[in-house]
Amino acid sequence: MHEFPVMPLGPFHIDISTLVAIVVSVIVTFLIAKLAVRNLSVDNPSKFQNFLEWVVDFVHSFISSTMPVNRVKPFLSLGMTLIMFIFVSNLLGLPFGIVTETHHVNESIGVTQDLLDSKGGEVELAWWKSPTADISVTAGLALIVFVIVHFLGLKQNRKHYLKHYFHPFPIFFPVNIIETISKPVTLALRLFANIFAGEVLIATILMMGWYGTPFLAAWQAFSLFVGGIQAFLFTILTMVYISQAAIHEEEH
Amino acid sequence: MSWHWESTVIAMIAFGILYWLLSKYAFGPLFEVMEKRRQLVLEQMNTAENSRKAAEQQMEEQKAALQQARKEAYEIIEQSRTTSSKQAEEIVQSAKSEASRLKDDALKDIESEKNKAIAALRTEVGGISVKIASKIIEKQVDEKSQEQLVGQYLKEVGNK
Repeated sequence: MHEFPVMPLGPFHIDISTLVAIVVSVIVTFLIAKLAVRNLSVDNPSKFQNFLEWVVDFVHSFISSTMPVNRVKPFLSLGMTLIMFIFVSNLLGLPFGIVTETHHVNESIGVTQDLLDSKGGEVELAWWKSPTADISVTAGLALIVFVIVHFLGLKQNRKHYLKHYFHPFPIFFPVNIIETISKPVTLALRLFANIFAGEVLIATILMMGWYGTPFLAAWQAFSLFVGGIQAFLFTILTMVYISQAAIHEEEH
Repeated sequence: MSWHWESTVIAMIAFGILYWLLSKYAFGPLFEVMEKRRQLVLEQMNTAENSRKAAEQQMEEQKAALQQARKEAYEIIEQSRTTSSKQAEEIVQSAKSEASRLKDDALKDIESEKNKAIAALRTEVGGISVKIASKIIEKQVDEKSQEQLVGQYLKEVGNK
Protein backbone atom coordinates (compact mmCIF):
# COMPACT_ATOMS: atom_id res chain seq x y z
CA MET A 1 0.00 0.00 0.00
CA HIS A 2 1.00 3.61 -0.45
CA GLU A 3 2.66 5.64 2.21
CA PHE A 4 1.67 9.23 2.86
CA PRO A 5 4.13 12.10 2.97
CA VAL A 6 4.49 13.32 6.53
CA MET A 7 6.39 16.53 7.07
CA PRO A 8 8.06 16.99 10.45
CA LEU A 9 7.59 20.61 11.47
CA GLY A 10 9.16 21.33 14.81
CA PRO A 11 7.29 19.17 17.29
CA PHE A 12 4.48 18.46 14.76
CA HIS A 13 4.17 15.88 12.02
CA ILE A 14 2.02 17.25 9.25
CA ASP A 15 0.46 14.76 6.84
CA ILE A 16 0.83 16.79 3.63
CA SER A 17 -1.70 14.77 1.61
CA THR A 18 -4.34 15.23 4.31
CA LEU A 19 -3.55 18.91 4.64
CA VAL A 20 -3.84 19.41 0.88
CA ALA A 21 -7.03 17.38 0.76
CA ILE A 22 -8.65 19.33 3.58
CA VAL A 23 -7.70 22.68 2.10
CA VAL A 24 -8.93 21.68 -1.36
CA SER A 25 -12.18 20.33 0.08
CA VAL A 26 -12.78 23.53 2.00
CA ILE A 27 -12.06 25.67 -1.03
CA VAL A 28 -14.23 23.57 -3.35
CA THR A 29 -17.11 23.52 -0.89
CA PHE A 30 -16.91 27.23 -0.37
CA LEU A 31 -16.66 27.92 -4.11
CA ILE A 32 -19.71 25.78 -4.84
CA ALA A 33 -21.74 27.58 -2.19
CA LYS A 34 -20.42 30.97 -3.22
CA LEU A 35 -21.15 30.39 -6.91
CA ALA A 36 -24.65 29.22 -6.06
CA VAL A 37 -25.43 32.41 -4.17
CA ARG A 38 -23.70 34.72 -6.63
CA ASN A 39 -26.82 36.34 -8.06
CA LEU A 40 -29.37 35.83 -5.33
CA SER A 41 -32.87 36.62 -6.41
CA VAL A 42 -36.17 36.36 -4.65
CA ASP A 43 -38.47 35.88 -7.61
CA ASN A 44 -36.12 34.71 -10.36
CA PRO A 45 -33.52 32.32 -8.93
CA SER A 46 -30.80 30.89 -11.14
CA LYS A 47 -30.53 27.14 -11.65
CA PHE A 48 -27.56 26.96 -9.32
CA GLN A 49 -29.42 28.87 -6.66
CA ASN A 50 -32.37 26.52 -7.12
CA PHE A 51 -30.03 23.60 -6.59
CA LEU A 52 -28.64 25.00 -3.35
CA GLU A 53 -32.16 25.83 -2.18
CA TRP A 54 -33.14 22.27 -2.92
CA VAL A 55 -30.21 21.14 -0.73
CA VAL A 56 -31.36 23.51 2.00
CA ASP A 57 -34.90 22.13 1.82
CA PHE A 58 -33.59 18.59 1.85
CA VAL A 59 -31.37 19.22 4.89
CA HIS A 60 -34.17 21.12 6.59
CA SER A 61 -36.61 18.27 6.06
CA PHE A 62 -34.32 15.57 7.40
CA ILE A 63 -33.25 17.65 10.38
CA SER A 64 -36.89 18.28 11.19
CA SER A 65 -37.42 14.53 11.11
CA THR A 66 -35.13 14.30 14.14
CA MET A 67 -36.38 17.23 16.20
CA PRO A 68 -39.37 19.58 16.53
CA VAL A 69 -39.55 21.73 13.45
CA ASN A 70 -39.30 25.01 15.35
CA ARG A 71 -35.89 24.01 16.73
CA VAL A 72 -34.33 23.28 13.34
CA LYS A 73 -33.19 26.75 12.36
CA PRO A 74 -29.96 27.08 14.43
CA PHE A 75 -28.72 23.72 13.14
CA LEU A 76 -29.51 24.26 9.48
CA SER A 77 -26.21 25.97 8.76
CA LEU A 78 -24.29 23.28 10.62
CA GLY A 79 -26.11 20.52 8.77
CA MET A 80 -25.52 22.21 5.41
CA THR A 81 -21.81 22.67 6.14
CA LEU A 82 -21.42 19.11 7.33
CA ILE A 83 -23.19 17.46 4.43
CA MET A 84 -21.54 19.60 1.76
CA PHE A 85 -18.05 19.37 3.21
CA ILE A 86 -18.23 15.61 3.79
CA PHE A 87 -19.75 14.96 0.38
CA VAL A 88 -17.09 16.99 -1.40
CA SER A 89 -14.42 15.33 0.75
CA ASN A 90 -15.74 11.86 -0.07
CA LEU A 91 -15.62 12.55 -3.78
CA LEU A 92 -12.23 14.23 -3.76
CA GLY A 93 -10.23 11.00 -3.93
CA LEU A 94 -12.37 9.42 -6.62
CA PRO A 95 -11.38 10.96 -9.94
CA PHE A 96 -7.62 10.58 -9.79
CA GLY A 97 -4.61 9.96 -7.58
CA ILE A 98 -1.11 11.30 -7.47
CA VAL A 99 1.54 8.77 -6.54
CA THR A 100 5.29 9.32 -6.59
CA GLU A 101 8.06 6.82 -6.11
CA THR A 102 11.18 7.69 -4.25
CA HIS A 103 14.30 5.72 -3.65
CA HIS A 104 16.09 8.22 -1.50
CA VAL A 105 15.84 9.25 2.07
CA ASN A 106 13.93 12.52 2.35
CA GLU A 107 13.21 13.37 5.94
CA SER A 108 11.17 16.46 5.02
CA ILE A 109 8.40 14.29 3.55
CA GLY A 110 8.77 11.49 6.04
CA VAL A 111 10.83 9.05 3.98
CA THR A 112 13.26 7.66 6.55
CA GLN A 113 15.93 5.03 6.16
CA ASP A 114 13.84 2.60 8.22
CA LEU A 115 10.85 3.02 5.91
CA LEU A 116 13.00 2.56 2.81
CA ASP A 117 14.51 -0.57 4.28
CA SER A 118 11.17 -2.03 5.20
CA LYS A 119 9.78 -1.39 1.70
CA GLY A 120 12.76 -2.77 -0.14
CA GLY A 121 14.29 0.51 -1.21
CA GLU A 122 11.24 1.88 -3.01
CA VAL A 123 8.54 3.95 -1.36
CA GLU A 124 5.32 4.96 -3.12
CA LEU A 125 3.96 8.20 -1.79
CA ALA A 126 0.28 9.09 -2.31
CA TRP A 127 -0.26 12.84 -2.46
CA TRP A 128 -3.92 12.92 -3.23
CA LYS A 129 -6.80 11.35 -1.36
CA SER A 130 -10.15 12.08 0.21
CA PRO A 131 -9.61 13.84 3.52
CA THR A 132 -12.33 11.60 4.95
CA ALA A 133 -10.24 8.54 4.05
CA ASP A 134 -8.02 9.58 6.95
CA ILE A 135 -9.18 8.53 10.41
CA SER A 136 -7.54 11.60 11.91
CA VAL A 137 -9.83 13.86 9.90
CA THR A 138 -13.05 11.95 10.57
CA ALA A 139 -12.06 11.88 14.23
CA GLY A 140 -11.76 15.65 14.09
CA LEU A 141 -15.26 15.95 12.62
CA ALA A 142 -16.66 13.53 15.18
CA LEU A 143 -14.94 15.46 17.94
CA ILE A 144 -16.60 18.66 16.76
CA VAL A 145 -19.95 16.91 16.84
CA PHE A 146 -19.17 15.50 20.28
CA VAL A 147 -18.34 18.93 21.64
CA ILE A 148 -21.42 20.54 20.09
CA VAL A 149 -23.73 17.81 21.35
CA HIS A 150 -22.55 17.91 24.94
CA PHE A 151 -22.18 21.66 25.04
CA LEU A 152 -25.74 22.11 23.84
CA GLY A 153 -26.92 19.38 26.19
CA LEU A 154 -25.38 21.14 29.16
CA LYS A 155 -26.47 24.58 28.09
CA GLN A 156 -30.03 24.08 26.93
CA ASN A 157 -31.21 20.97 28.69
CA ARG A 158 -28.97 20.58 31.73
CA LYS A 159 -31.31 18.74 34.08
CA HIS A 160 -32.47 16.09 31.65
CA TYR A 161 -29.07 15.86 30.03
CA LEU A 162 -27.37 15.03 33.32
CA LYS A 163 -30.22 12.79 34.39
CA HIS A 164 -30.01 10.64 31.30
CA TYR A 165 -26.62 9.28 32.44
CA PHE A 166 -28.40 7.60 35.33
CA HIS A 167 -31.36 6.44 33.37
CA PRO A 168 -33.24 4.22 34.05
CA PHE A 169 -31.23 3.33 37.19
CA PRO A 170 -27.97 4.73 38.58
CA ILE A 171 -26.38 1.31 38.01
CA PHE A 172 -26.59 1.98 34.26
CA PHE A 173 -24.10 4.84 34.51
CA PRO A 174 -21.17 2.87 32.97
CA VAL A 175 -23.38 1.68 30.12
CA ASN A 176 -24.48 5.22 29.42
CA ILE A 177 -20.86 6.38 29.46
CA ILE A 178 -19.93 3.69 26.95
CA GLU A 179 -22.86 4.73 24.79
CA THR A 180 -21.78 8.35 24.95
CA ILE A 181 -18.21 7.50 23.98
CA SER A 182 -19.22 5.06 21.28
CA LYS A 183 -21.34 7.59 19.43
CA PRO A 184 -18.50 9.82 18.13
CA VAL A 185 -16.22 6.81 17.72
CA THR A 186 -18.68 5.01 15.46
CA LEU A 187 -19.35 8.28 13.67
CA ALA A 188 -15.66 8.69 12.86
CA LEU A 189 -14.98 5.04 12.09
CA ARG A 190 -18.01 4.54 9.84
CA LEU A 191 -17.17 7.49 7.64
CA PHE A 192 -13.45 6.73 7.54
CA ALA A 193 -13.90 3.01 6.84
CA ASN A 194 -16.37 3.49 4.00
CA ILE A 195 -14.29 6.07 2.18
CA PHE A 196 -10.95 4.44 2.92
CA ALA A 197 -12.24 1.09 1.69
CA GLY A 198 -13.43 2.76 -1.47
CA GLU A 199 -10.03 4.25 -2.16
CA VAL A 200 -8.21 1.03 -1.34
CA LEU A 201 -10.38 -0.80 -3.80
CA ILE A 202 -9.73 1.85 -6.44
CA ALA A 203 -6.00 1.45 -5.88
CA THR A 204 -6.40 -2.31 -6.11
CA ILE A 205 -8.39 -2.15 -9.31
CA LEU A 206 -5.73 0.13 -10.78
CA MET A 207 -3.21 -2.68 -10.30
CA MET A 208 -5.20 -4.78 -12.81
CA GLY A 209 -4.06 -2.47 -15.58
CA TRP A 210 -6.50 -1.51 -18.32
CA TYR A 211 -8.61 -4.66 -17.85
CA GLY A 212 -9.91 -3.02 -14.75
CA THR A 213 -11.47 -0.03 -16.51
CA PRO A 214 -15.10 -1.24 -16.39
CA PHE A 215 -14.68 -2.30 -12.77
CA LEU A 216 -13.12 1.03 -11.99
CA ALA A 217 -16.00 2.91 -13.60
CA ALA A 218 -18.56 0.79 -11.77
CA TRP A 219 -16.78 1.14 -8.47
CA GLN A 220 -16.34 4.88 -8.85
CA ALA A 221 -20.03 5.23 -9.55
CA PHE A 222 -20.77 3.19 -6.46
CA SER A 223 -18.30 5.23 -4.45
CA LEU A 224 -20.18 8.33 -5.53
CA PHE A 225 -23.30 6.77 -4.08
CA VAL A 226 -21.48 5.67 -0.92
CA GLY A 227 -20.02 9.15 -0.53
CA GLY A 228 -23.49 10.68 -0.68
CA ILE A 229 -24.94 8.12 1.73
CA GLN A 230 -22.12 8.59 4.23
CA ALA A 231 -22.37 12.37 4.12
CA PHE A 232 -26.10 12.08 4.71
CA LEU A 233 -25.62 9.54 7.52
CA PHE A 234 -23.01 11.59 9.31
CA THR A 235 -25.20 14.68 9.20
CA ILE A 236 -28.44 13.03 10.24
CA LEU A 237 -26.73 11.15 13.08
CA THR A 238 -25.25 14.42 14.26
CA MET A 239 -28.73 15.89 14.32
CA VAL A 240 -30.13 12.86 16.12
CA TYR A 241 -27.45 13.13 18.79
CA ILE A 242 -28.05 16.86 19.19
CA SER A 243 -31.76 16.21 19.43
CA GLN A 244 -31.26 13.49 22.04
CA ALA A 245 -28.99 15.60 24.21
CA ALA A 246 -30.26 19.12 23.84
CA ILE A 247 -33.95 18.92 23.14
CA HIS A 248 -36.30 17.71 25.76
CA GLU A 249 -39.88 17.45 24.70
CA GLU A 250 -42.38 18.36 27.35
CA GLU A 251 -44.65 15.41 26.74
CA HIS A 252 -42.62 12.84 28.68
CA MET B 1 -2.41 4.37 7.84
CA SER B 2 -1.13 6.06 10.90
CA TRP B 3 -2.67 8.43 13.35
CA HIS B 4 -1.67 12.06 13.25
CA TRP B 5 -3.33 14.21 15.82
CA GLU B 6 -2.14 17.25 13.86
CA SER B 7 -4.51 16.24 11.05
CA THR B 8 -7.34 16.09 13.54
CA VAL B 9 -6.61 19.61 14.72
CA ILE B 10 -6.23 20.86 11.15
CA ALA B 11 -9.52 19.23 10.20
CA MET B 12 -11.32 20.82 13.13
CA ILE B 13 -9.88 24.26 12.41
CA ALA B 14 -10.64 23.91 8.72
CA PHE B 15 -14.19 22.85 9.44
CA GLY B 16 -14.62 25.75 11.82
CA ILE B 17 -13.38 28.20 9.22
CA LEU B 18 -15.56 26.65 6.56
CA TYR B 19 -18.60 26.83 8.81
CA TRP B 20 -17.94 30.48 9.52
CA LEU B 21 -17.28 31.34 5.86
CA LEU B 22 -20.36 29.51 4.62
CA SER B 23 -22.61 30.99 7.29
CA LYS B 24 -21.40 34.47 6.59
CA TYR B 25 -21.08 34.51 2.82
CA ALA B 26 -23.32 31.76 1.49
CA PHE B 27 -26.02 30.46 3.77
CA GLY B 28 -26.81 33.71 5.55
CA PRO B 29 -27.80 35.54 2.37
CA LEU B 30 -29.40 32.42 0.95
CA PHE B 31 -31.60 31.87 3.99
CA GLU B 32 -32.49 35.54 3.92
CA VAL B 33 -33.60 35.30 0.31
CA MET B 34 -35.57 32.15 1.00
CA GLU B 35 -37.26 33.83 3.94
CA LYS B 36 -38.04 36.83 1.77
CA ARG B 37 -39.55 34.56 -0.86
CA ARG B 38 -41.61 32.85 1.80
CA GLN B 39 -42.91 36.24 2.88
CA LEU B 40 -43.59 37.19 -0.71
CA VAL B 41 -45.55 34.03 -1.38
CA LEU B 42 -47.48 34.49 1.84
CA GLU B 43 -48.25 38.07 0.91
CA GLN B 44 -49.38 37.12 -2.56
CA MET B 45 -51.58 34.40 -1.17
CA ASN B 46 -53.13 36.90 1.20
CA THR B 47 -53.66 39.33 -1.64
CA ALA B 48 -55.26 36.62 -3.73
CA GLU B 49 -57.50 35.67 -0.84
CA ASN B 50 -58.51 39.28 -0.31
CA SER B 51 -59.27 39.89 -3.97
CA ARG B 52 -61.26 36.68 -4.06
CA LYS B 53 -63.29 37.89 -1.11
CA ALA B 54 -63.78 41.30 -2.73
CA ALA B 55 -64.89 39.65 -5.96
CA GLU B 56 -67.31 37.45 -4.07
CA GLN B 57 -68.72 40.46 -2.29
CA GLN B 58 -69.11 42.35 -5.53
CA MET B 59 -70.81 39.35 -7.04
CA GLU B 60 -73.17 39.29 -4.11
CA GLU B 61 -73.88 42.99 -4.49
CA GLN B 62 -74.53 42.63 -8.19
CA LYS B 63 -76.84 39.74 -7.53
CA ALA B 64 -78.74 41.83 -5.02
CA ALA B 65 -78.90 44.73 -7.50
CA LEU B 66 -80.16 42.39 -10.19
CA GLN B 67 -82.78 41.06 -7.84
CA GLN B 68 -83.83 44.59 -7.00
CA ALA B 69 -84.07 45.54 -10.67
CA ARG B 70 -86.09 42.45 -11.40
CA LYS B 71 -88.46 43.26 -8.58
CA GLU B 72 -88.85 46.82 -9.76
CA ALA B 73 -89.52 45.70 -13.30
CA TYR B 74 -92.15 43.29 -12.05
CA GLU B 75 -93.76 46.07 -10.02
CA ILE B 76 -93.79 48.38 -13.01
CA ILE B 77 -95.41 45.72 -15.15
CA GLU B 78 -97.94 45.00 -12.45
CA GLN B 79 -98.69 48.68 -12.04
CA SER B 80 -99.11 49.22 -15.75
CA ARG B 81 -101.32 46.20 -15.91
CA THR B 82 -103.65 47.56 -13.21
CA THR B 83 -103.52 51.01 -14.75
CA SER B 84 -104.42 49.70 -18.16
CA SER B 85 -107.27 47.58 -16.88
CA LYS B 86 -108.57 50.53 -14.90
CA GLN B 87 -108.33 52.72 -17.97
CA ALA B 88 -110.09 50.13 -20.04
CA GLU B 89 -112.81 49.98 -17.48
CA GLU B 90 -113.05 53.73 -17.47
CA ILE B 91 -113.23 53.82 -21.23
CA VAL B 92 -115.92 51.19 -21.27
CA GLN B 93 -117.75 53.00 -18.50
CA SER B 94 -117.60 56.32 -20.28
CA ALA B 95 -118.64 54.69 -23.52
CA LYS B 96 -121.58 53.09 -21.77
CA SER B 97 -122.64 56.32 -20.14
CA GLU B 98 -122.20 58.13 -23.42
CA ALA B 99 -124.32 55.53 -25.13
CA SER B 100 -127.02 55.74 -22.51
CA ARG B 101 -126.90 59.50 -22.63
CA LEU B 102 -127.27 59.38 -26.41
CA LYS B 103 -130.14 56.96 -26.04
CA ASP B 104 -131.86 59.18 -23.50
CA ASP B 105 -131.34 62.18 -25.73
CA ALA B 106 -132.79 60.27 -28.61
CA LEU B 107 -135.74 59.18 -26.52
CA LYS B 108 -136.27 62.74 -25.34
CA ASP B 109 -136.07 63.98 -28.91
CA ILE B 110 -138.51 61.38 -29.98
CA GLU B 111 -140.81 62.34 -27.15
CA SER B 112 -140.69 66.03 -27.94
CA GLU B 113 -141.07 65.37 -31.66
CA LYS B 114 -144.04 63.21 -30.87
CA ASN B 115 -145.52 65.88 -28.64
CA LYS B 116 -144.91 68.50 -31.31
CA ALA B 117 -146.42 66.29 -33.92
CA ILE B 118 -149.38 65.60 -31.66
CA ALA B 119 -149.80 69.32 -30.97
CA ALA B 120 -149.50 70.15 -34.68
CA LEU B 121 -151.89 67.39 -35.54
CA ARG B 122 -154.29 68.59 -32.89
CA THR B 123 -154.22 72.07 -34.29
CA GLU B 124 -154.61 70.73 -37.80
CA VAL B 125 -157.36 68.37 -36.84
CA GLY B 126 -159.14 71.16 -34.95
CA GLY B 127 -158.97 73.42 -37.98
CA ILE B 128 -160.07 70.67 -40.31
CA SER B 129 -162.94 69.58 -38.10
CA VAL B 130 -164.08 73.22 -37.81
CA LYS B 131 -164.01 73.47 -41.61
CA ILE B 132 -165.76 70.12 -41.88
CA ALA B 133 -168.34 71.10 -39.29
CA SER B 134 -168.91 74.50 -40.83
CA LYS B 135 -169.30 72.86 -44.22
CA ILE B 136 -171.55 70.15 -42.88
CA ILE B 137 -173.88 72.27 -40.89
CA GLU B 138 -173.29 75.22 -43.20
CA LYS B 139 -173.88 77.33 -40.38
CA GLN B 140 -171.69 79.98 -38.87
CA VAL B 141 -170.79 78.43 -35.57
CA ASP B 142 -168.82 80.20 -33.07
CA GLU B 143 -165.36 79.12 -34.05
CA LYS B 144 -164.07 79.54 -30.58
CA SER B 145 -166.59 77.32 -28.75
CA GLN B 146 -166.24 74.78 -31.53
CA GLU B 147 -162.52 74.63 -31.11
CA GLN B 148 -162.96 74.19 -27.38
CA LEU B 149 -165.32 71.32 -27.94
CA VAL B 150 -163.02 69.56 -30.41
CA GLY B 151 -159.99 70.09 -28.16
CA GLN B 152 -161.90 68.42 -25.36
CA TYR B 153 -162.71 65.43 -27.52
CA LEU B 154 -159.17 65.11 -28.82
CA LYS B 155 -157.76 65.34 -25.38
CA GLU B 156 -159.90 62.48 -24.37
CA VAL B 157 -158.65 60.58 -27.36
CA GLY B 158 -155.00 61.50 -26.58
CA ASN B 159 -155.37 60.28 -23.03
CA LYS B 160 -156.70 57.00 -24.06
